[in-house]
Amino acid sequence: MCKERMGLNRRRFLKTAVQAGVCLSVPQFIPGTALGKSGSVAPSERIRLGAIGIGNRGRYVLGCFLREPDLRCVAVCDVRGDNRRRAKDQVDTINGDKQCATYIDMRDLLARDDIDAVLIATGPNWHVTAATMAAKAGKDVYCEKPCTKNIAQSLTLADVFRRTARVFQAGTQRRSLPNFAYAIELARTGKLGKLQTLHAHPGGLGTKMSGWVAPEPEPPREKVDWDMYLGPAAWRPYTRKLMNAFHFEKGGGLVGGGCLEWGSHCVDLCQLANDADDTAPVEYEPVNGQLHARYANGVKLIMRNDGWLPLGSCPVRFEGETGWVETGDDAEFGASSQSLLLRRGTKIPGYPADFHVRDFLDCVKTRALTRANADAACWAHIACHAANIALFLNRKVKYDPKKNEFIGDEQANRLRSEALREPWRI
Amino acid sequence: MIIKKRYLCWCIALLIATLWTGAFAQNHPYKESDLISVLQSDAAKGDKAITCKRLAIYGTEKSVPALAPLLSDKELASWARIALEAIPGTSADTALRNALGNLQGRLLVGVINSIAVRRDVGAVDTLLQKLDDVNASVASAAAVALGHIGGEKAAKALTKSLANAPVGVRSAVAEGCILCAERFLAHNRTAEAVKLYDTVRKADVPDQRHLEAIRGAILARQSAGLLLLIEQLRSEDKKRLGIGLRTARELPGRNVTEALAVELNRLNPDRRSLLLLALADRSDSAVLPIVQKTAQSGPKELRITAINILIRLGDVSCVPVLLEAATEDDAELKQAAMETLVRLPGKDVEADILARLPQAKGKLQQVLIELAGQRQINKALPAVVLSLHNNDAEIRGAAVRTISIIGQDQQTPDLVKMLENTQNSSERAGIRKALLAISGRCGAKCIPHLKPLTQSRDNELHMIGLHALAIVGGSDALAAVKSAIENAEPPVQDEAVRILSNWPYNWPQDSEAGQALLMLVTSAKKMPHHVLGLRGYLQYIRGNKKLSNERKVAKIKDMLSHIKRPEEKKQAIAVLGEAPSASALELLTTLAEDPAVVEEAYSAMVRIAGKDISGVSRDQRREVLQTVAEKSRNDGTRQRARKTLSKLR
Repeated sequence: MCKERMGLNRRRFLKTAVQAGVCLSVPQFIPGTALGKSGSVAPSERIRLGAIGIGNRGRYVLGCFLREPDLRCVAVCDVRGDNRRRAKDQVDTINGDKQCATYIDMRDLLARDDIDAVLIATGPNWHVTAATMAAKAGKDVYCEKPCTKNIAQSLTLADVFRRTARVFQAGTQRRSLPNFAYAIELARTGKLGKLQTLHAHPGGLGTKMSGWVAPEPEPPREKVDWDMYLGPAAWRPYTRKLMNAFHFEKGGGLVGGGCLEWGSHCVDLCQLANDADDTAPVEYEPVNGQLHARYANGVKLIMRNDGWLPLGSCPVRFEGETGWVETGDDAEFGASSQSLLLRRGTKIPGYPADFHVRDFLDCVKTRALTRANADAACWAHIACHAANIALFLNRKVKYDPKKNEFIGDEQANRLRSEALREPWRI
Repeated sequence: MIIKKRYLCWCIALLIATLWTGAFAQNHPYKESDLISVLQSDAAKGDKAITCKRLAIYGTEKSVPALAPLLSDKELASWARIALEAIPGTSADTALRNALGNLQGRLLVGVINSIAVRRDVGAVDTLLQKLDDVNASVASAAAVALGHIGGEKAAKALTKSLANAPVGVRSAVAEGCILCAERFLAHNRTAEAVKLYDTVRKADVPDQRHLEAIRGAILARQSAGLLLLIEQLRSEDKKRLGIGLRTARELPGRNVTEALAVELNRLNPDRRSLLLLALADRSDSAVLPIVQKTAQSGPKELRITAINILIRLGDVSCVPVLLEAATEDDAELKQAAMETLVRLPGKDVEADILARLPQAKGKLQQVLIELAGQRQINKALPAVVLSLHNNDAEIRGAAVRTISIIGQDQQTPDLVKMLENTQNSSERAGIRKALLAISGRCGAKCIPHLKPLTQSRDNELHMIGLHALAIVGGSDALAAVKSAIENAEPPVQDEAVRILSNWPYNWPQDSEAGQALLMLVTSAKKMPHHVLGLRGYLQYIRGNKKLSNERKVAKIKDMLSHIKRPEEKKQAIAVLGEAPSASALELLTTLAEDPAVVEEAYSAMVRIAGKDISGVSRDQRREVLQTVAEKSRNDGTRQRARKTLSKLR
């Protein structure tokens, strides 16, 4: 499991690039000529997008992409016929023509040389497999979260995007929202004093094993391609109940729970606040319905469901020696002192993905690391998976982020990875 | 005695055994033999599938013989591999290796993929044979697996295959080569890695594999890779430029930074910003002077890129360059420089700004004053206060803005005096804003300084004073506002009424405000004053947590004869809706007789009738809901009424 990495100073690159991402209230100014976003953009300068897995969430994010002037969506792909039709209509309406191609099998879309980037909004079961396939096919990737199903996949995600030098943006759009970025900046710049405790709200902590439900007659491929829907997940017969891709195989072998669904956002924000985009906590322990974790630098991470200020969904709270700040999806703040909030900037509630999409498109052009790049996503997901494993085993586990293994815990170590169904690999 | 000792030993042994069994049971909720039995029985496939997952966590080599046969089962093979990939020991490797000879197609690919995950060196020879498999998927899987396992044998075979593999397999072979190269690098076998990367660069493979090989070739060579890097930066091909920009960030070394800086001046203008951004990600202290120099002069867009980069790279040494840009005439440059100056980290930056302030003149003085506010440099206050008397209106304005951010009650007299001495409307607006901000921050300490404004014959100043006092709140402020309602000047009266009707401050401590508002309701001479008083009073009732629901309703009932317009009736209904009680329900029933507010009343009635309230029986609640469900013309209200009714039945 211990991954042998190239002898490159990745951490140095990551640190500097991520620092750029934290300075949110002042976006990097890159000339319009370089980015092709000023005024009308020549068709040859537009980023050509393919969209894969376009259900409700996919169509929302696709809408954010379609609003960008330097982008043209040319193809959509979904295993479900109804989703394909709706997505094509959405794209054709914006493009003003009927040329958006549709695919059932993402491999056909990825084989096209004229596509620069892909949006992956399939269910979590497919995310990492589709993302790595896309990278190997030479596409930059915006991938919805949770991006991986286990620790090994998280490491592979980072490895593949490093090797292929493709741009990756995890769909953790809260990294690009001013209120979260401001709270993170307060934590990282010492405005709260030495950081002590981070709080995250991965709503619905808990795990269970994934299963096999009683079979039903399989619909025709044009309606649902069940084999492609299952993709890398172990085989099981068709059941309509499992067709909700949003929940199917979330968290890998440990299906369900907020660790991955919400943790990939709020734990991810805590990672950034603790300047920990290249590591993860070293201890995880279920404590009275909460999950308590600890980083090697002594900072505590508490995942809990209760006791939050009414600041909207997905709240985080950062506590230092001299102050604290809490914020959520309403884009309001709670803080130990109002003076901490004097420069909080624009209030943007409702966690829109537009800024995150823009960051991705800018990085497609500059080849810089995105705010939620593959390394950052890798470690945030590792933290979530490790927490999930501690909850599943219902005991304290210790993790070594250098060796990427649980210390003296074979059962936990075996939960780090899971075989993919043939013929898929990452 | 001996018997007693034996008995004691037996008890201790039993206790240890019990504890051990308990601990084991906790860590091993399933017995492996039971799980194996399931696999070997006629159990349903679903049960066998889940059993495989359990064996992945709790199984040992004992389970392998039961798992191996499932590798040829199309439906259970992937489940079996979940267990076989996870179970430690050579038995699982052997089972997977043995399956290589028995399987075909997708199932064979799956087994090869599992061997790759386990990095089974013992499988290399068989995998080498599979490289030539007629099935492209099998050959491709073997190529990638060999890459994951690595080693000389794999590298040699993959290199050979790169030249003559079918087109459909070549991409995977190249991927295998690159994976092999990475493993060589991880073991400091750089020359072998470079050789593999170069082989792929020259091979007839998809362009993405070329790009990966170029990246690897640059980074593996370290400083010697610089030439190849520069070649990419100059390439006409966008993808190669992309690899150049990425490796410009990754390739370490001061000489690399210096060479890229030289290249920065050679590239065409469109690419210079891109390379500058890449340079900024290098985390090399040599980058800062390059960015500073670029920020100083040259094409505007490039300068702005550089100025923005300084937010994260800059330090106190950048202050002069940024101040220069901040005082230029170009608005975009100025804005970028100001943003950077505000966010530039370090207390020494603040000390630098502070030291420059006393000597500064003109635009620079204005910029420094603005920065003192934006960066909240409290020590700058004396110098900023002095600037309130500057002849330059722009500088005075900047000083007022800064004082509004960092000023304290001690600055209130200066601002009041300045207010009294200017007739300029924008200047007055700025001072007003500052006074309100300070009043909010410093509270009652400001009152003595603000009171003179309420004596001013200048109505505008009087009103500013009232507003500032209202922010402070308390009985003194309220007295001033009440007095202003009696003022001879109608504009002052009107403003005072407006302030009182919106008295949001320090509820419910300022309970006297309620009395003053009631006075307006009952005896205001002007209709607008009556309306504003009524609205304020209703707001007062709504927000007063000291009032019980019954008292709130009683107060509204007392007011009912004064509430004539639908707008205020709706406001009263909103208060009643939040005060669930029998009396509120009764009053709402009365208000519902007015067609102008009937729907608002119905909505509030549903809200109340949905709750279990003392003094209201379930039958009464049902009756209310039934009435609304039948009579309301609002779909939403009807639906809510029916839904609530159904819950009551």
